[in-house]
Amino acid sequence: MKMTDRVTRLREQSLNATETITAERAQLITQFYSGGEARGLSAPVLRAKAFEYLLRHKTICINDGELIVGERGPASKATPTYPEISLHSVEDLDILNSREKVFFRVSDEVRKIYREEIIPFWKGRSNRDRIMERMTPEWLAAYKAGIFTEFQEQRAPGHTVLGYKMFHTGFLDLKKEIADATSHLDFCNDPEAYERAEELKAMDIACDAIIMYAGRHADALDTLAAVEQDEKRRHELAGMADLCRRVPANAPQTFHEMLQHYWFIHLGVVTELNPWDSFNPGRLDQHLWPVYKKETDAGTITADEAYELLGCFWVKFNNHPSPPKIGITAQESNTYTDFCLINLGGVKPDGSDAVNEMSYILLDVIREMRIVQPSSMIQVSVSNPDSFIHKALDIVKTGFGQPSVFNTDVIIQELVRQGKSIVDARNGGASGCVETGAFGTECYWLTGYFNLVKILEVTLNNGFDPRTGVQMGPKTGDPRLFSSFDEFMLAYRQQINHFAHIKVRGNNVIEKTFAIHLPVPFLSLLLEDCIARGKDYNAGGARYNTTYIQGVGLGSITDILTSVRFNIYDRRRFSWDEMLTALHNNFEGAEEMQYELIYHTPKYGNDDDYADAQAVAVFEMFHDAVTGRPTPRGGIHRINMLPTTSHVYFGNVTGATPDGRKASVPLSEGISPFQGVDSQSPTAVLKSASKIDHLRTGGTLLNQKFSPEFFEDEGSYQKLTALIRSYFSLNGHHMQFNVVSADTLRNAQKHPEQYRDLIVRVAGYSDYFNDLGEDLQNEIIRRTEHGDY
Amino acid sequence: MKGLIFNIKRYAIHDGPGIRVTIFMKGCPLDCWWCHNPEGKSSGRVTVGRIDRIGEREFRSEEQVGMEYSPEELVEKAERDRVFMEHSGGGVTFSGGEPLMQPEFLTETLALMQQSGFHTTVDTSGYARKETLKQVMQYTDLFLYDLKHTDPDMHRKYTGVSNDLVISNLDMLLAEGKDVWIRIPVIPGVSADAAHMDNLRVFLESRNNGHIKEINLLPYHKTGSSKYRRFGLDDRMASVSQVSNGHLDDYIERLKPLGIHLKKGG
Repeated sequence: MKMTDRVTRLREQSLNATETITAERAQLITQFYSGGEARGLSAPVLRAKAFEYLLRHKTICINDGELIVGERGPASKATPTYPEISLHSVEDLDILNSREKVFFRVSDEVRKIYREEIIPFWKGRSNRDRIMERMTPEWLAAYKAGIFTEFQEQRAPGHTVLGYKMFHTGFLDLKKEIADATSHLDFCNDPEAYERAEELKAMDIACDAIIMYAGRHADALDTLAAVEQDEKRRHELAGMADLCRRVPANAPQTFHEMLQHYWFIHLGVVTELNPWDSFNPGRLDQHLWPVYKKETDAGTITADEAYELLGCFWVKFNNHPSPPKIGITAQESNTYTDFCLINLGGVKPDGSDAVNEMSYILLDVIREMRIVQPSSMIQVSVSNPDSFIHKALDIVKTGFGQPSVFNTDVIIQELVRQGKSIVDARNGGASGCVETGAFGTECYWLTGYFNLVKILEVTLNNGFDPRTGVQMGPKTGDPRLFSSFDEFMLAYRQQINHFAHIKVRGNNVIEKTFAIHLPVPFLSLLLEDCIARGKDYNAGGARYNTTYIQGVGLGSITDILTSVRFNIYDRRRFSWDEMLTALHNNFEGAEEMQYELIYHTPKYGNDDDYADAQAVAVFEMFHDAVTGRPTPRGGIHRINMLPTTSHVYFGNVTGATPDGRKASVPLSEGISPFQGVDSQSPTAVLKSASKIDHLRTGGTLLNQKFSPEFFEDEGSYQKLTALIRSYFSLNGHHMQFNVVSADTLRNAQKHPEQYRDLIVRVAGYSDYFNDLGEDLQNEIIRRTEHGDY
Repeated sequence: MKGLIFNIKRYAIHDGPGIRVTIFMKGCPLDCWWCHNPEGKSSGRVTVGRIDRIGEREFRSEEQVGMEYSPEELVEKAERDRVFMEHSGGGVTFSGGEPLMQPEFLTETLALMQQSGFHTTVDTSGYARKETLKQVMQYTDLFLYDLKHTDPDMHRKYTGVSNDLVISNLDMLLAEGKDVWIRIPVIPGVSADAAHMDNLRVFLESRNNGHIKEINLLPYHKTGSSKYRRFGLDDRMASVSQVSNGHLDDYIERLKPLGIHLKKGG
């Protein structure tokens, strides 16, 4: 199929729009909080009324020619801020405005509003202030040293995906559910009945608010229709106005209604707060297929019309850059991408093959739209056909980094192991980069990246961090005194436990700040069983609750520990003295040693059991340090292994390491080998990566880089498919392909102007090569390119 | 028993069906001008220089080409990629050099591979004693069989030996009902011309008994030339350019009447 002129135009508009900061939301929320109406309300009702206020007063934006309406800001790519979460200073705004990559233009008007209205009101009152005030000195020191990051420092918890229910439910239906739950409150026997009543009241206000917001769009569309000269467009506008009066108040009945229904929900979520991963329609092919079939059979929509609507829908995501991040948060996730990940394929609730015609149509949309947002993936189960994978490879080979490939059967096992019902598990998938979740029923927070390599550096220095000059961890001993590798590993384990403890403690405090001060009554409407329990999403209302810490640098830490084991203990090639001196001097004057460490030491990613044993050991340490610790939401802590862009930041704060890596060089990403050391074959990489137990994670990320020639041979799709299926039979969770030659990338670095459209896979998402920092560009070039086979 | 191996390549996808492990065996009786693995020619071990870089700085070391393996050790190596072979219909390929130069070892290893459930392929120039080939044949599921030139003089000029033995061995394999993929190196100035392709068609027509499963046209490419520099060898192909895609398509057209599956590359 072919995108229509309308979609081509909308896509161009979206690509050409400049990212700006709008002060509208900040101004409205400040007005509301400082006005009389906010006084004396319980937190959920306060937040619901604030939500209502925002939706009542925010500018309605309807772009020329579009068929799906609604923008988060007053215009495309006009990006709101959330001062109740994190307050930007004027300096922050200057940095956002002037930084070379991932900038947001800030007008003088916005600066003025910030200076005069926003900053005076929120200074010291944002949740970030609340969090920082409550963190221990140990937490603050570790955070500053780059031992871990904190997701909720500038953004609200999210990582949640819409499930089946909300594609078939209107907000009027939810109001009935709320009334029903309220009528069943038992104030005599339930000590929490009052809190539930307040929460349910807040949810009810949020329902009315979103219906009102859709109504404002209907009115605006009517106004536009009244003056529209073009008859066809006038007719469209009038139809859209009607549509906005039907959804999201009522359950959507048509294909068009379903897309617009979701989009209002999406806008509600990202206006209420700024959750990580924006929001996500999840299993879009499953939700859209029945209504598409019904309508095309009945002749109420043509395939072309539906295709055009999908194009319009896609553009909406691209109009929303991720909310502006600063400082460490910008470094750990330095991208405009806001991680909405469309899932295709997988299995139905009964476990059978879920691939349908809509899965293929959406792959066409992805190929033709070729934009970084929304991101996309295919779920691959043993029950899915190879032809589905081949169709996805058609897109992968164009070097666009999408879709990535996930193992449905492993995701289901991960979820069931965590206690989800088999049906809830089958209705799940992956969101964000690679995070496993039960869609529509689970609240799963990611809380921060955990620098496995920095902790090793601290271990080498007896608990001291050479960069910040602080005694960070316990004195686990001078490594020169460890008589065996096991003793050294024991010290490292103690340090891991120490910092995991600090991080978990912080998480549990931060979680509470959101539960108490920042409930999300709107988001709570969307997740089962928040209404039935009368409990907020941020307070444990969802059916399932999980809190993740993301381990970073598995490849690097494996190579480092392997080098210690091999060079210091097993082969006695170097003494600790020599090693520590070389590290201290960043290998200046020890180049021969660095050469031995890089070229003549076993490395992760080569299916070498000697090296891979350390990957398993570290994985188990990290797992044991985190998994099972309770959270205030009634969930538990678990791990996953993904980096976004934190491996660059983490490398930057970590000194030279025993694998021969110099100070400041990026760490390995996800569970991929350190860049360039996987010299054997892709099969060896997959074997190494499969030795850790993916089933006990909530997601792992594996990047593989192939040259374009690799996809051209006859039979290459079958072989690539076999490669994927083999890895998945070894219980691999995910793999993604970067298909672009190193030469092309080097050229793009030299002549960025000629490569404005070059999209590459970063880590769990795709991005414009030009938007990446130079260090990240270099890192991607270094990742082994598999081509010469 | 031990064999001398100069490389083991995992994820070999141009050496027979599916995803394979290819074992490169040392020693070759031919001396092809365009040889891509010159380090495999001699029957003994050789030591070559190696240069690794860290940034601008070069580090020189010596590397041995040729390592001894027992059949059991090679099965163990193949075992590591069994899952990929099973999903792709792949297996193990013996290449070189000329694998038939180590007949006893090859036979024993092939037998052990088959016993372990691996599909076996032998990539050969066909230049070997008939008895050797007969023995090896019993444990070989598929032969990748080079036809470097139909003309005996050209064959001798560019490979150092005549093609009589190569042809009679091919006839034997086909008569015995062994499956064969014919591999034709397409070398500018040697075999890359229309007349030669027509001769090949005629040559293969009379032998097309259903056991020639595929014909692979292997275009000459320059990736081998860096090896010549590295090993300090004389590169007789220095002035030869690569084959254009257009020419390849023309050759494929000429061979099409055979009704055998044709493929560019391995």
